[in-house]
Amino acid sequence: MHIKFYLNGKVVEADVPAGMNLLEYLRSVSVFSVKRGCDHGECGSCTVLMDDKTRNACLILMGTLDGERIETLEGLNADRRMELMQAAFLDEGAIQCGYCTPAMLLALESLLRANSKPDDAAIKAAFSGIYCRCTGYVKPMVAAKKVVMGEVDG
Amino acid sequence: MKIYQPYGLGDCLDLLSELPQAETVILAGGTDLMPRYEQGKVLPEHLINIKHLADLQGITETENGAEIGGLTTIETLRRSGLIHRDYPALWQSTEQFAGVQIRNRATLAGNIANASPAGDTLSPLYLYHAKLKLMSRHATRTIRLEDFIAGPGETTQERGELIHSIILPRVTGSSCFYKLGLREAMAISVVNYALRYSQSAGELTDLEITAGAVAPTIVFLDALTTAVLSGETNSTVWRALIGQDIAPIDDIRASADYRRKVLGRLITHHLQNLGVVCHE
Repeated sequence: MHIKFYLNGKVVEADVPAGMNLLEYLRSVSVFSVKRGCDHGECGSCTVLMDDKTRNACLILMGTLDGERIETLEGLNADRRMELMQAAFLDEGAIQCGYCTPAMLLALESLLRANSKPDDAAIKAAFSGIYCRCTGYVKPMVAAKKVVMGEVDG
Repeated sequence: MKIYQPYGLGDCLDLLSELPQAETVILAGGTDLMPRYEQGKVLPEHLINIKHLADLQGITETENGAEIGGLTTIETLRRSGLIHRDYPALWQSTEQFAGVQIRNRATLAGNIANASPAGDTLSPLYLYHAKLKLMSRHATRTIRLEDFIAGPGETTQERGELIHSIILPRVTGSSCFYKLGLREAMAISVVNYALRYSQSAGELTDLEITAGAVAPTIVFLDALTTAVLSGETNSTVWRALIGQDIAPIDDIRASADYRRKVLGRLITHHLQNLGVVCHE
């Protein structure tokens, strides 16, 4: 079916099978920051932003996407705040295998759009839908707090 | 598969009445439907995406309580001052519901229609004696939630019907929700319960408890609460009475025996914390 939506600020028109999900589509067009993990809405690796809020791409049918506004890390890499977040994650060693990192960055971005000074509980809640099996969440929390406190050397 | 996206409630009800029921599925948030679709367990000919139905959105305070549109997301409930203030057990269930990505998309009517014995909002909704407003092209009816959910994944939803809203009566006393999961976020309940009570001069005057993930549907622990209100203080008796109202099973998350034991312990502990006299 024919659909039209916004991906990272650009209009996308595509003919897709109605039953295709957004994760499959994004990877088919080389948007590789969005990772395939569990494929059933549990791990959070395929997190994207839809209207500023985090969503699991694997749970979104392409056929329901008309007119929606989707963002991935590819569209935010040049953004100043994203640069600072990435610098903080690197400085703090908040990345090990890196598989969940794009999702964590988007979760933090979504949180900061709604609340520029989130407390620890809010950051924790923002990360709660993302499985990270390397870091134990400690270093991502430290990195996120550095961003919130404006303590990143970028 | 053909996807329909009605923008008006009337159009949606027309579709529901015209399309063949066995091959038609309603899509709300999709957080339960999509995994089943990807596994090939649900392969509808016709999929009706109802997310654009504005009539089914939002939380309204009414004269007798509150009315929640079926498409209201779990995250919207979690952010609602009205739910936090008047229906704390429901609010607490939204706090512990999956993770942010799922809460942003999952809807209250979807959690009900999915009819999972472990659905987190269900124990609070049973506790509050929620009713559902069901609409079809020809009729609107109101039904008690416990009459709507018939078993795991089974409901008494009739052909052409859509869950329009969830109606909550005004609640007296205090209430809360407790969930035991295997981790804090993204966990399905091993057991959960919701509890409502009133006290006067340190004595319980009213007590109701519902429990989830311990039977094919949510259950009221009436044998226990009746006995406690009549002055029964023996916790061994309490646990036996809880056992009368539940029928847990072994599954991937826990054994039936563990569920029985842990629910008994949790509720005994909870009642003791409320100051109920308890003898081992």
